[in-house]
Amino acid sequence: MNKVVVFCTLALGLLFSNAQAETILVKGGKVHTLSDKGSLDTADILIADGRIVQVGPSLDASAERVIDAGGKVVTPGIIAPISELGLVEISAASTTNDQAVTGESIGSAFNPLPAYNPKSTLIPFNRAGGVTSAVVFPRISPWDSGAVEAQRVFAGRSFAIKLNGEFDSVEARDVAQKAYLGEAGAQLAGGSRASAYAKVESALREAIEFRENRSAIRRGEWRQLDYSLADLEALQPVVDGKTPLVITANRASDILAAIALAKAFDVKLVILGAAEGWMVADQLAEAQVPVVIDAINNLPISFSSLGARLDNAALLTKAGVKVAISGPDYASTHNIYLSRQSAGNAVAHGLPYEAALKSISSNVADIFSLEGGTLETGAVADIVIWSGDPLEVTSYPEQVLIAGEPQSLVTRSTRLRDRYLKPSKGHNFGYRH
Amino acid sequence: MQLHSRVFGRSIAVLLFASVLLSACGETKNGESGQRSLDFARLDAFPSTYAIKQSRPVLIQGATLLTGSGAQMEKADLLLEEGSIAQIGKALKAPEGALIVDGEGKWVTPGIIDVHSHLGDYPAPSIESSQDGNEMTSPNTAQVWAEHSVWTQDPQFPLALAGGVTTLQVLPGSANLFGGRSVTLKNVPGRSVQDMKFPGAPYGLKMACGENPKRVYGGKGTSPSTRMGNVAGYRSAWIEASNYKKQWEDYVESGGDEPERDLGLETLAGVLNGDILVHNHCYRGEEMAVMMDIADEFDFKISTFHHAVEAYKVADLLAENNVCAAMWADWWGFKHEAFDMTEANIAIVDQARACAMIHSDSGVGVQHLNQEVAKAMAAGQRAGFDIQPKDAVAWMTLNPARALGIDAQTGSLEKGKMADVVVWSGNPFSVYTQVEQVFIDGELVYDRTDKKRQPRSDFELGILNAEGERL
Repeated sequence: MNKVVVFCTLALGLLFSNAQAETILVKGGKVHTLSDKGSLDTADILIADGRIVQVGPSLDASAERVIDAGGKVVTPGIIAPISELGLVEISAASTTNDQAVTGESIGSAFNPLPAYNPKSTLIPFNRAGGVTSAVVFPRISPWDSGAVEAQRVFAGRSFAIKLNGEFDSVEARDVAQKAYLGEAGAQLAGGSRASAYAKVESALREAIEFRENRSAIRRGEWRQLDYSLADLEALQPVVDGKTPLVITANRASDILAAIALAKAFDVKLVILGAAEGWMVADQLAEAQVPVVIDAINNLPISFSSLGARLDNAALLTKAGVKVAISGPDYASTHNIYLSRQSAGNAVAHGLPYEAALKSISSNVADIFSLEGGTLETGAVADIVIWSGDPLEVTSYPEQVLIAGEPQSLVTRSTRLRDRYLKPSKGHNFGYRH
Repeated sequence: MQLHSRVFGRSIAVLLFASVLLSACGETKNGESGQRSLDFARLDAFPSTYAIKQSRPVLIQGATLLTGSGAQMEKADLLLEEGSIAQIGKALKAPEGALIVDGEGKWVTPGIIDVHSHLGDYPAPSIESSQDGNEMTSPNTAQVWAEHSVWTQDPQFPLALAGGVTTLQVLPGSANLFGGRSVTLKNVPGRSVQDMKFPGAPYGLKMACGENPKRVYGGKGTSPSTRMGNVAGYRSAWIEASNYKKQWEDYVESGGDEPERDLGLETLAGVLNGDILVHNHCYRGEEMAVMMDIADEFDFKISTFHHAVEAYKVADLLAENNVCAAMWADWWGFKHEAFDMTEANIAIVDQARACAMIHSDSGVGVQHLNQEVAKAMAAGQRAGFDIQPKDAVAWMTLNPARALGIDAQTGSLEKGKMADVVVWSGNPFSVYTQVEQVFIDGELVYDRTDKKRQPRSDFELGILNAEGERL
C-alpha cells in the first residue's frame, strides 16, 4: 500500500513541468535538523524554490504538495565524503571504469570530471539508499598490476555531485586534491613511506615556487622544474589554502607526518583512513584536521592499521575532531549508502547519536565546503524521509528530495526483484518489465 | 571477494559411522547397510583434537529466544549442561554451581554459523607471505586442503567470536574449478588447526563457476578461458573421478593389484560416494542450472551455491534439487556476474522453499552477520513477504548448519544439541545490539564485560604497545 502511495506521489511529481518552483510541506515528521535547533520530535518543513523556507512545529503554511511524514524520521540527505560514483560501473570490467590512470606524471593534474556518467546504475541505487550528494575522487590502486609508477602519489582532482542523475548534476568542481602517504604512498613511491612524503613535499614546494614565479617559468626563464606545469597548476588551490588536501594515512605515525607536512605548507588537511586516528586524536583536534574514516573496519588488516577499532569515531569525536564516515571499503563504491550502517555501529560503540548523523551529512558538507547537511532556513532541500531510525539497517528512505525535487526510488535491484518475486519455469519472465 | 568462494548435501549421516581401517591405502568404512564402502574422505587423517568441556551448568533466565527452528519464545529459560542444551522452558531450576545469566531484556540465538570464510587462510594482517587461500597453479587442485593453510593465530577469529560466530567453514579460494577441500571449525583458540576442527563435520569440496577460473587460467593462455571451458574441465574431472572410484571398488570387491592413491581424485571420489559436500562458488542463474545438471550426470549432490547473487532467478530449481544458496545481503557490481543483485535475494529464495542463508566471505562482514540478515529480512518485508525475526534467524544458524551437514548437532536451540549459544543485548536485528556472551558447547568463551573472557591471538600480544592491549 505504502509503495503505491509513494509511486503515485512520484508520478504526480513528474507531471509538474516546473517542479523547481513547487512548494512542498513535509508535515509532522521527527526532524533531525543537525543545526543549532537540534532534533524536533514533531515538526514541519516548508520548501520553496529548492530551499528550506522554514522548519518548526505546526507551521502555519500551505503548499502545492504536502508530504505526510507522521511517524517518519526526516534528515538531511546522506553526503558521501569519498566515492567513485559516475566513474565506475563494474569494478572488474575495465572499459566501464574511469577512476584510475597510470602514467609518468605525479598525478595531481588528473581530472576525472569529463568521464563522469550521471546515468550510472550506481546513482539511483545509492539515491534509493538515502544519498543525495557525493564527493567523487579518482584513485590509484597501488596493488593493481601496472599501476605502480615511481612518480604518482597524487590521485588527482575531484568534484561533487547531486544524485539526481541529471546531466547537470555536478555540484562543485575541484573540491579537493588527494594524495597518498603511509603504506599506500610507500607502494607508489618506490618502496618507502619517506619517499612518498618527499614527493608530496617537493610537489607542494614547487607549486609555491610556480605561484611566486609564474611568468618567468612560463617564459622559460627559470630552472627546470621536476613536475609538469599542469600538475603544479592543479595544486594551486591547495597551496592557496582554498581546497583541502586529502591524504590517506592509517598508522598513527603517518598521520602525524601528514599533520607536520600540512603545517609546513599551511595547507588545509583532511586525513582519509585514520584507522589509528584515536591514538593521535588530540593532535588532530589541535591542528583542526578533520578525518574521513571507514568506521566499521576494525580489522588489523595491515601493519598500518593494527590499532583499528570500532570506537575510533567515538574517541575522535570526543577529542574534538570533526569526523566524516565513508561507505565501508569492503562494500565498495556500489554500496556507498552503507555509511549509515557504519554510523549506526559507531553509535553502538559510543558515538553520540546526533554526532553520527552529522558524520554522514553536515560534517561532510563542512569538510568539503558543500551545500547541504542541515535542515534550516535557507538550506538546500536535500531531504530524506525515512521509514524509521535512519541508522537502523531495517529502515529505508520512503521519499528523497534533491533541491526540493522528489526523486524516483526505483532501481535495477527493485526491477529485478519485481520480475522474479515468484520465479517459475517457462518463458514469461521475459515479458515482465 | 573476487577470488574467494563455496556447497552442500544431506544424508551424510553415513559419514559419522565408525570407520574401519582395512588396509593402509584402501581404507573402507561400514555404511548404513553394513556394506563396506571406501573411505575416500580420510576423516582420520588429521583428526580433531577439539576439547572444549563445559565447566559448570549455565542457566539463562527470562530471555527472548529465537530458536532457529522457527519459534520466538518470550521470557523463557535455557539450561545448558554438559555441553548440550538440556532444557528450554519456564521457571527452570538452576543446578548447583550453575552460572546464572539474567536474560531480562536480552535475546538469545543459536551460535552464528558462517558457511563462507577464509579466516586463517587469508588472515589479517594481509601481507604477501600470508596469502594462503588460492593454490593458483592449476585449474584443478582438488588435492589441497584448506586446513593446511590455516594460521590459527589470525586475529580475525576472536573478532568474529565477538560477533557471535561459533562455527565457520574455511574454504580455499575460487581461482580454480576445483579449489580443494574446506574445513569446518569451531571458533575457539587453537594451537593447531586440529584443535579447532568441528568433531565429525564432513569435509567440503570447493568448486568455482564463472569469471574467476577463466580469468586466472585464460590469462595464462591455458584452459579454461571461457565458461564452456570451465564446464569441460568439471566434466573431465568427474569422468576421471568416476573411474578412480570404480577402480577402488573393483579392488575391494575382487582384489588384484592395489590401485595407486591420488589425493585429488580421492577428494572427488569422496563427493561421488556422498561423504564430501560440494560448496560451489557460482553467481549466475544459468551456471547454477548447468552445475545441477552436471551433478545429475555424475550422480553427486551439490550442497550449496555460494555468492549466489542470482539465486533468486532460479529459486524454484534450487528448491526442486534440494540445493542451498548462500548469499550476501547487498554486495554487487564488483564484477559482471555480480551485477544483477537484488536485496530481496535471500527472501525470494527462502519463500520459494529453498534453503537460504547469509554468508560473509569477509573479515568485517563476519562480525555483523546479524545486521546482514536484518537487511535481507527488511528487503523481504518490503517485497511483501511475511518474514519475521524467528524465521530470518535460520539464515545465519540452522540453514548454514544444514549446508555444512552439521544440523543434527548444532544450528538451533533444541534439546540435545550442542550448547552453541549467543546472548544479545537486545533484538539481534538492531544495529545497536551487541553480543554480550557466547557459549560454545556450553562453555563461556566470550564475555563483553570481562576482558579475561575475551580470547586474543598470539599476534595481538604487545603488537601495538609492548605492555598494553591491542583492544
